Amino acid sequence: MRVLWTNIDYAASVVLFLIGLYAVIAKGNLIKKLMGLNIMETAVFAFVMATGIVTGGDAPILGKGAEPPFANPLPQALILTGIVVALSTTALALSLIMRIYERHGTIESDDLWGVE
Amino acid sequence: MDGGHWPAVLVVTPLVGAALCPIIGRRFPNFAGYWALGVFTAVSVAAGAVTYAVSTNGPFSYHMGGWPPPFGIELRFDEFSASVAVIALIGWLAILYSLSYAKHAVPEERLPYYYALLLLCLGGMAGFAVTGDIFNMFVFLEILSLSSYALVAIAGERIAELASFKYLVMGAVSSLTILFAIGFLYALTGTLNMGDLSVRLAGVETFPAAVAVAALTLGFSVKAALFPLHIWLPDAHATAPSPVSAILSGLVVKVGVLGMLRMYQMLYDSQVFDLKMLNDTLMWLGAISIVMGALFAMVQEDIKMMLAYSTISNIGYIFMGLGLASTFGIIGGAVHVFNHAIIKATLFLGAGALIYQTGYRDLKDLRGIGKAMPVTSACIAIGAVSIVGIPPTAGFLCKWYIALGAIEAGRIFFAVTLLFGALLIFVYYIRMLNAFYFTPPLHAHLMDVGEVPLTMLVPIVVLAILCLVMGVFGRIPLSFIEPAVIDMLAPLGG
Repeated sequence: MRVLWTNIDYAASVVLFLIGLYAVIAKGNLIKKLMGLNIMETAVFAFVMATGIVTGGDAPILGKGAEPPFANPLPQALILTGIVVALSTTALALSLIMRIYERHGTIESDDLWGVE
Repeated sequence: MDGGHWPAVLVVTPLVGAALCPIIGRRFPNFAGYWALGVFTAVSVAAGAVTYAVSTNGPFSYHMGGWPPPFGIELRFDEFSASVAVIALIGWLAILYSLSYAKHAVPEERLPYYYALLLLCLGGMAGFAVTGDIFNMFVFLEILSLSSYALVAIAGERIAELASFKYLVMGAVSSLTILFAIGFLYALTGTLNMGDLSVRLAGVETFPAAVAVAALTLGFSVKAALFPLHIWLPDAHATAPSPVSAILSGLVVKVGVLGMLRMYQMLYDSQVFDLKMLNDTLMWLGAISIVMGALFAMVQEDIKMMLAYSTISNIGYIFMGLGLASTFGIIGGAVHVFNHAIIKATLFLGAGALIYQTGYRDLKDLRGIGKAMPVTSACIAIGAVSIVGIPPTAGFLCKWYIALGAIEAGRIFFAVTLLFGALLIFVYYIRMLNAFYFTPPLHAHLMDVGEVPLTMLVPIVVLAILCLVMGVFGRIPLSFIEPAVIDMLAPLGG
């Protein structure tokens, strides 16, 4: 229990990841599936960010009054890239959903089974 | 020769070329395809140069911007990175083939984007193959995945968007598990450089490392379409335009395999834990993939659907080879990555040519096409014979090596499964050849169609000849890849 409590930030992101995965698998609406995907993305980002936290650390920006300890800037740089990737995935997925709706008149995957 | 600055050229050129492609296409609409071909010719030269450097001097590394690893970004070239040569070959031929095919299959206003996406996809793959840094690996993986999702949808066939969406959801989930694993590895070791990782992994706790390995395996198996994670593949590969299918089936699924090879390199090197369970799982899933892929393919009418399911079987062979963890098995698996790419590209480009000329894609509609399009059909026949693995074609040697690997590892059952799978595969390719050559045509007007334009015919013929040549000179890739595999398995004690 103590292990879980001291690592509550990691545990929370795993739970969030699973919630997102549940939505991707179980929800029929394509937009809801995409939202599940976005929740998973957020979970992974939160997890990686949490690994870079230093207790009592400041934002790693050099300048007046900057003194150590600093948070690790590398995970932040990685996740910035990750966010860009997530943004483009979402944009592409949304435009595909739009096309699917235009062509088939529905975005419920149960109704879309028929057209495949 | 140490490769000079070719590595940087190899990675940067396709990305810059892709960015400029829509701009050029806007000014000179007919020029986009030639631009892509030109850019990719430069990439191919770079790929040839680095492969030559690896083959003469062995593995080397290139430091981007002169910063030494582990602080800077390292591009690492070993025998596995030489897969850029295959990427260059198939990519170049697919772009050449597209010059005629895409005009017909892709809406005109999307043509410049089509070529831009092709370049991005191929460039992402080249980057993935040569990077020495796991986060860069993720970035290149996303570049190539996102462009593949878009390429599936670009022709706008009936269910193209649905297939693409399914591919996107599964692909994005797998990318996220990979990113999760990368975050995990970073948290454990404090480094992203692969060489550094394999050193530092040796000291970490077993359980978190196992979680990271499981997440990486899961992610890469989805990318490689290993059964039961293959459900995105058939629709996506069958609805994409044929040159794209050739690239997706021949190259993009192999990215998962290459990722697995990289992971194995780190794990065997660090000896962090016993991999027996992982290897057994992969072997079993590989065996199931071979059989299930073949069974699904047997009942398909659509020729491209059939080829797509056949890819699942072949991925099964490769994963079985990796899971066997014996020298022969891994050499066979790694070379099958290369040979399957050539064979499947022949088949998909050939099938594309049939569809281009006749407009039909079901086997029963294509009956008797062997007389109307003799060259294309002959090339498809060569491809079919090689994929079954009949000597002396390209497919034979790698399957033989994997079977030897199974015997070497004392797993006779898997050698039997492999032979059984080859028989099943033979059944449906015989069905295809039977329709082409030995049944009377359903549509009489099929007899009047001629061969496809030369820019489409040449890639098919070149690839078909390679299928035969790789069978006869099959020792070359086998002995080329051998040092890398022996090096990888060395910590196991031979």
